[in-house]
Amino acid sequence: MMNRRNFLQHTVPLAVTMPGLLNGFSFTADGEESPLARLLEQTLTDTDHVFVLVQLSGGNDGLNMVIPLDIYGNYYNARTNVAIPQSQVLRLDGTDKSGLHPAMTAMQNMFNEGKMAIVQSVGYDNPNFSHFRATDFWNSADTRSNRRERVKTGWMGRYLESEYPGYPDAFPNTSMPDPLAIQISNFPTLMAQGSIYSMGLSITNPEKIYTFANPFSDYPLNSVPANKELKFLRVISEKTKIYSDIIRAAYQRAATMATYPTENGLADQLKIVARLIRGGLKTRVYTVSMGGFDTHKKQVNASDTTTGMHAKLMKDLSAAISAFQDDLELMGLDERVMGMTYSEFGRRIKSNASLGTDHGAAAPLILFGKNAKKGILGTSPDIPADAQVVNNIPFQYDFRSVYASVLEQWFCVKQPALDSIMLRNFQSLPLVTGPCGVADDPEDNNNAAEKLILKMWPSPYTINATVQFSTNGGNTMIQQIDGLGRVVKVLTNQDYAAGTHNLDIYNDGLASGVYFLRLQNKSLQKVISVMKMP
Amino acid sequence: MDRRDFFKTANRTVRAKKTGGKSQAMLFAGLAPYTGSWTVNEVTHLLKRTMFGAKKADVDYFLSRTPDEAVEELLNTSFIPAPPLRDYGLLEDEGVWYDDLGVAIGQTWVNDPNTASFEGIRGSINSRRVDSLKKWWSGLILNQQRSIQEKMVLFWHHHFSIQSTEVENAAILYRHHNLLRTNAMGNVKTLVREVTIDPAMLIHLNGYLNTKQAPDENYARELQELFSIGKGNDSLYTEDDVIAAARVLTGWRITDIPLGVYLDTNAHDTGSKSFSAFYNNTTIAGSTNPDQELDALMDMIFNTTEAARFICRKLYKWFVYYDISETVEAEVITPMADVLIANNYEVRPALSVLFKSEHFFDVLNQACYIKTPFDMIVGTLREFNVSFPVYTDHVNGYPFFSNIYGQAADMQQQLFQPPDVSGWPSYYQEPMHYELWVNSNSLPKRADFTDALVNDSVIDVRAFAGYSSNPADPNQLIDDVTALLLRYPLSASSKTYVKTHFLTNNTTEDSVWTSAWNSNNNAVINTSLKDMFRFLMNLPEFHLC
Repeated sequence: MMNRRNFLQHTVPLAVTMPGLLNGFSFTADGEESPLARLLEQTLTDTDHVFVLVQLSGGNDGLNMVIPLDIYGNYYNARTNVAIPQSQVLRLDGTDKSGLHPAMTAMQNMFNEGKMAIVQSVGYDNPNFSHFRATDFWNSADTRSNRRERVKTGWMGRYLESEYPGYPDAFPNTSMPDPLAIQISNFPTLMAQGSIYSMGLSITNPEKIYTFANPFSDYPLNSVPANKELKFLRVISEKTKIYSDIIRAAYQRAATMATYPTENGLADQLKIVARLIRGGLKTRVYTVSMGGFDTHKKQVNASDTTTGMHAKLMKDLSAAISAFQDDLELMGLDERVMGMTYSEFGRRIKSNASLGTDHGAAAPLILFGKNAKKGILGTSPDIPADAQVVNNIPFQYDFRSVYASVLEQWFCVKQPALDSIMLRNFQSLPLVTGPCGVADDPEDNNNAAEKLILKMWPSPYTINATVQFSTNGGNTMIQQIDGLGRVVKVLTNQDYAAGTHNLDIYNDGLASGVYFLRLQNKSLQKVISVMKMP
Repeated sequence: MDRRDFFKTANRTVRAKKTGGKSQAMLFAGLAPYTGSWTVNEVTHLLKRTMFGAKKADVDYFLSRTPDEAVEELLNTSFIPAPPLRDYGLLEDEGVWYDDLGVAIGQTWVNDPNTASFEGIRGSINSRRVDSLKKWWSGLILNQQRSIQEKMVLFWHHHFSIQSTEVENAAILYRHHNLLRTNAMGNVKTLVREVTIDPAMLIHLNGYLNTKQAPDENYARELQELFSIGKGNDSLYTEDDVIAAARVLTGWRITDIPLGVYLDTNAHDTGSKSFSAFYNNTTIAGSTNPDQELDALMDMIFNTTEAARFICRKLYKWFVYYDISETVEAEVITPMADVLIANNYEVRPALSVLFKSEHFFDVLNQACYIKTPFDMIVGTLREFNVSFPVYTDHVNGYPFFSNIYGQAADMQQQLFQPPDVSGWPSYYQEPMHYELWVNSNSLPKRADFTDALVNDSVIDVRAFAGYSSNPADPNQLIDDVTALLLRYPLSASSKTYVKTHFLTNNTTEDSVWTSAWNSNNNAVINTSLKDMFRFLMNLPEFHLC
């Protein structure tokens, strides 16, 4: 097989012309060196792994998907009119701390069979409550609220561009004869966006035939914008023709083997994905999506909170993913495929008067597949006994730590490429088994985190306080998070020797109210709530 | 020449004018009036951006006007269409057929409360009315006047992004649409105010559930983020402003019969509401007067410069190009927003300055706009002068309009159903913007559409060839038809390719085509032209306007 370096040597003229093409385009937000220059040094990672991203659009109510049983009273008090009755919560093997929405029986089985992991309270430091801003954050893996500073590429786009530089011009080729990513959608999302082109292909009908003939390649108009758009159109036309033939052939080579639920849009999309993988595509990334999660009103039926809009969504999600998993097992592909759900935000702890929930912050996220580490990483979210309208769930894990861990443990991405794709360094979490996976299980991690000391006195505090924490050594960070879920102070972020340390706070200038302290040390994290009095 | 060079030139012009003492030119630095040539090229550019497609007859019409006259005429949106009509017959419920007793076939339903008919059938009646509304608007777009009106109504639809699946009520949807239509070229501030308490919006973003006991922030957030202030770098409103605005808007409720809204003072929070420094620390005193707080909120929002700039950026992206560089921001958006503010948020003067500007006609802003599905569908049909029934023809017209609606929806532009609260991503999603319209999913659908126009003889290729000053001359024919169809020009060698492959039977002899045309050889002429037009409409160039 031709390796990356050889391949690039064969296509030097292309590489030389690229900077010209890029003139005038924003390549990276940071104005860093051209990724191409860096990537010339890299070789293509040899992996047959596939990752499926399931986007839940609108903001999934995580608290009603993974229900905290160990603090059920606080949960119930905060959202009595939409709360799932404790007795109906689906129990999960090995834990009595959390359970699943009653409509998710299929996923309950997946969890108990060791094919699913839950990561608790996934969020980030400055939660945004706008659908499209927050979606951009999740898809780009960049949470800078200044639009001009934020990268315009997607995290998977950057990953794929690092693996396959020169796309789309030099593709398909012998080392990558198939689409890099396939989005079962009407249009490409930011997630798969590379520096200029989307690294993914959008399809809704894998059997669509597109005949195309364009003999022209000159640019007679002396105008940068028009030429940019014409080039885009020419490339899309040409690649659509080539890749639609490849996709159609793969799709027609394979048939599904499991029974999928009917009238389930997500299942319809996953069916296509299963056939394409089975049909032999080397495509590494697929995206599917499901809408309707913006449940401001009537997310449950008043007569029975285990029914209603959100219950239907949970059932469809659970049944579709479970059928997909069954299909992969029957096809003998389960070793190669894993997937993940994500949503732009969770919903508010407190429900509203319309039997719904408003935009919130952190929420649990699900990884599925044979190689997802069984278990629940993290603890039940911290729900105050008297939750106010504005209170949000503080994050335990940054969503980018989840992404970075997937890239590292599933796609075997090494440093420094990993930090470059993720824009900086993130925690490595125990999520994936396999050759690049890590040894720990989520439960080992939880236990180790539980042993960390994190406390503050006096509590509540007024002006001065002392934070005591322990660390296993190395970089240790303590963030202070407010009731809205925003990081308002970083108390420390530096290397420490293993052991217990104290940190003094003098007149921090923060308003009185509920806060959380989040300790992070390597793969461990711990969150406690503290209170500041006037 | 790239954009930067262009602005260097523009700046030099401004400096020159400064010394000449023309203060007007200083104010509108990037919006200096266009004084260049007025040919098919410029007229077509203006028409394709402000209407759907540029018909030969319209191009000729405006060629005989001055650029200023053309712009003013296009900005005239005084046409008031007759309302949508009942186009459905009896409706079935459990094996029994019922009539809509409120409205006769061919009459409008917009003032009928849908209470006269059998109760079990009213839901079906409502759905059929919503369907007829969709057909009606599609018909109006097809049958547009020589006016920006339909593109402007669509702009506001994109802006406020009401979805019929959320509203689900024909009368309320029509009322909303009519509000956009009536104010399309009117006052932005008035429009935002009216939409705020429009039943469709109260449903769409939960305003009708917003109550002092449990303020619902949904509308208050989108009002600022999507409808008035935006999220530009100078937009500094806060989460507390969202909560305060939600409190201002508590208590608005809908009445069904007659359709209307009122302020329920029991549900309205009459406490005073304080806003952040971004809004000059404005305090809005509580009131049970339905207008008072709403007007104060609108005054506060539209007193910010950011509100005017935000609207201008959206208009710019809709009509000119999506890339708003810092220079465009400074030289075009800022002065355009100044015009908007100077005219108390009347949109027409601001658009007039934009469309009459050197910047709008600059070659750098030509041929860089990727056609929307409606540009592709309606524009192509109109440019080929396909005749269709008038928009009021509910018998022959509505089924055809329904087809147009469905085709556009299939290409991702569904009327009354933008994808989410932010409208169509082609106007906000960086970095691709317009490019999102064209992808491996939609491109084959566009090709299917234009192929079918040719294959099914929907378009008369021969008549289109007849627009040429000399269709017997293959060179002239190709020059003329590509000038009408393609905003992005073909090079000489590309034109030769077209001629050789489609008109001269792979020879270099022009006479092959000339003699076929002159001898009226239908078989040769029609086959050749069909192949040629199918080819031209499959070109990437065809997607640009």
